[in-house]
Amino acid sequence: MPGLFGTLNLGARSLQTQQQGVEVSGHNLANASNAAYSRQRLEIHTSTPTPTSIGPAGTGADAGAITQLRDTLLDRQIQGEISITSFLQSGQTALQYAEAGVGEQLQGATGTGDVGSPGGLANDLSGLFNAFQDLSTTPSSMTSRQTVISQAQQLTTQFNQLDQRLGSINNQLNQSVQTDVASANQLLSDIAGLNQRIAGTEAGAGVANDLRDSRQQKLEALSQLANIQFSTDASGEASLSLGGQLLVSGGTVQDTLETYDSGTGQLLVRTSGAGSPLTPTGGSIAGTIDVRDGALQSLHGDLNTLATQIISQVNHVYRTGYDLNGNTGADLFTGTNASDIGVDAALASDASALQASGVAGAAGNNQVVLGLAQMANTAQASLGNQTFAQSYHGTITGLGTALASVNTQLADQESVQTMLQAQRNSVSGVSIDEEMTNLVMYQRAFQASAHLVSVVDQMLSLVVTLGQ
Amino acid sequence: MRIAFNTFPDSVKSQLATLSAQQNHLQNQVATGKRISQLDDDPAAMRRVLDWQTQGSQVSQYRKNIASLQTEATSSYSAMSGLQTISARAGEIATLADGTRSAQELNTYASEVTQLIQQGVQLMNSTGQGGYLFGGTATAQPPFVAATDANGNITGVTYQGNEAALSAEIAAGAPVAVQVPGANTSGSGPAGLITDSRNGADFFNHLIALQNHLRAGDTNSISSSDLPALAKDEDNITSQMAHNGLIQAHLSTADSLAATQSLSLKKTISQDSDADLAQTLTQLSTTQTAYLAALQSGAKLLSQSQSLLSYLA
Repeated sequence: MPGLFGTLNLGARSLQTQQQGVEVSGHNLANASNAAYSRQRLEIHTSTPTPTSIGPAGTGADAGAITQLRDTLLDRQIQGEISITSFLQSGQTALQYAEAGVGEQLQGATGTGDVGSPGGLANDLSGLFNAFQDLSTTPSSMTSRQTVISQAQQLTTQFNQLDQRLGSINNQLNQSVQTDVASANQLLSDIAGLNQRIAGTEAGAGVANDLRDSRQQKLEALSQLANIQFSTDASGEASLSLGGQLLVSGGTVQDTLETYDSGTGQLLVRTSGAGSPLTPTGGSIAGTIDVRDGALQSLHGDLNTLATQIISQVNHVYRTGYDLNGNTGADLFTGTNASDIGVDAALASDASALQASGVAGAAGNNQVVLGLAQMANTAQASLGNQTFAQSYHGTITGLGTALASVNTQLADQESVQTMLQAQRNSVSGVSIDEEMTNLVMYQRAFQASAHLVSVVDQMLSLVVTLGQ
Repeated sequence: MRIAFNTFPDSVKSQLATLSAQQNHLQNQVATGKRISQLDDDPAAMRRVLDWQTQGSQVSQYRKNIASLQTEATSSYSAMSGLQTISARAGEIATLADGTRSAQELNTYASEVTQLIQQGVQLMNSTGQGGYLFGGTATAQPPFVAATDANGNITGVTYQGNEAALSAEIAAGAPVAVQVPGANTSGSGPAGLITDSRNGADFFNHLIALQNHLRAGDTNSISSSDLPALAKDEDNITSQMAHNGLIQAHLSTADSLAATQSLSLKKTISQDSDADLAQTLTQLSTTQTAYLAALQSGAKLLSQSQSLLSYLA
């Protein structure tokens, strides 16, 4: 029989246990709005019974452990989905920059005569060939010549600007890769630190619930950047790898990430120590690289191809023409691609130098400028047998298609992620009603144990005064 | 499913975000009147619309070309009309200048013919918007230059133009030439107005011959060679005028066709890219209602934030 003192002890331990229960409920309530928190429970179990003459007698309750309600499978799934969502989001952002850079929109009422945006490349292209047509009716008109020259200048300026914008988007994306890699390295060291602390804490007693929550938060932040694989082995040692390369093992960072120039000025990612190139398939780093080296590069490439073709095809015909002063052989367009395409400087000051005529000395001859005008409808072999305008329209609507596809995929992906997060919330989220109920429960139990202590105390004082 | 503390606020946030994005998109469509405005709204339709717009822009330019060519043709026609009057008068004089006329009358006729030649040269040096009308494509200098002797008689009229004619497109791959070169002596290419080696027209030279014969009083040559020659010249001028009339009719037809094409392209573009306002406004109204309902109910539930706590205290 435990005796009165044993029962007093039982009461005291019970008070502590219920107090711990209240503390855990308080902890849950305080973190109710913390999205990374998973609710904790106090495991109460009976303490070891003592043997008595009539059999084992219970000795009260003890707090066993504080456990967290968490579904690790859901956590892994969510990490994976976060990587995919982030991949699509960063791709979408990059494509949206490019769409804004290209700047083609259908504006205003139908029938204004513009192609796409009034200030866009498509309209400038159409304007140049219309100006050639106009000049072909009155080849010696200085006004028409001036119009051709300024349309050509507008077109070349637009090419230069587009090229610049795409180049600066490319630089922005490279910078964003660098920033992401730096953030990833910071997170790697944070996770290693947490691994160490978790291992240290759990070497003592219990589970480091809050540290694990923090670590899961960091893992999810890192999954946004790259699709990492995280695992714990049988001994509890945690390791983190990316693309098969071990980055964190236990409390030490085995390797970090760094960017390197692939040789074309574009940044790729590799491990710093071993120098092995990494090609992650999820996360914002991969998403940015995928769009930068995919859709954006082909957009920029197509733009350059178009500019190069325009320069060479137009000059090929233009060179054979004669200007009003009998000169021939000059080029209309200077430069080699979209970045440096320009108009012959001599034309800016002297419109009579425009070589519109097919023969010398005939100011009314329009053979060359007519040939240039007819080029608007000529299929160019090196542009996939499309006209200049068709090729450009195809290029920019290709960008539109890529963006539309990412938009759809992202919308679907976001709803999957939201569903999983709602499921996790259902398992791990704090419910105020539950915690209030538990609080009341522990409070009442505390009151009851306190009453037990006072009853035993009365009994003891009776016993003590028994001999008197 | 167990509902935690964050479940409801998270779901309100995401619902409001979705509804407000939909609302924004529809509002944009209503304000611009366009179903598609960005490249990613409907890339396939965007491609079609851009290609049609390019076509539409080209058709507008062809119409401008047609207008320009019509102006040129009209100016040419009035100059040729004037030339026809001169030719008629010259023919009249050649008929009247027979053996019954006195030397003085013949001289008077000769002076009149000199004047007619000068008028003709002036007419043939008419300018249009692209320079001289009758010099072929050598439009920088006057096509005809008359040389006179000390007595004021014209000794020769030289042609400084060439034999080419400018052709411009009135539709894709459809070039039309409106110009008539003043002279064509090579036998190939567009027919010359004053001189053409194929049908023997040589108006100014025949007029000069008439002038000289009148001065010399040689009425036999006038009736035997000048009269028939001038008749050939007049035929040439008349046929050029008829040709001009045909071209103008052709241009007019082409313009109507282009106008129809332009209208039809506009309709097609509109069908593909313009928003059906009635439909869009209805959708917008529905979305706005849903958004307001979500706001109201969300706000009510969030502000009340009932939990056991309110009842325990």
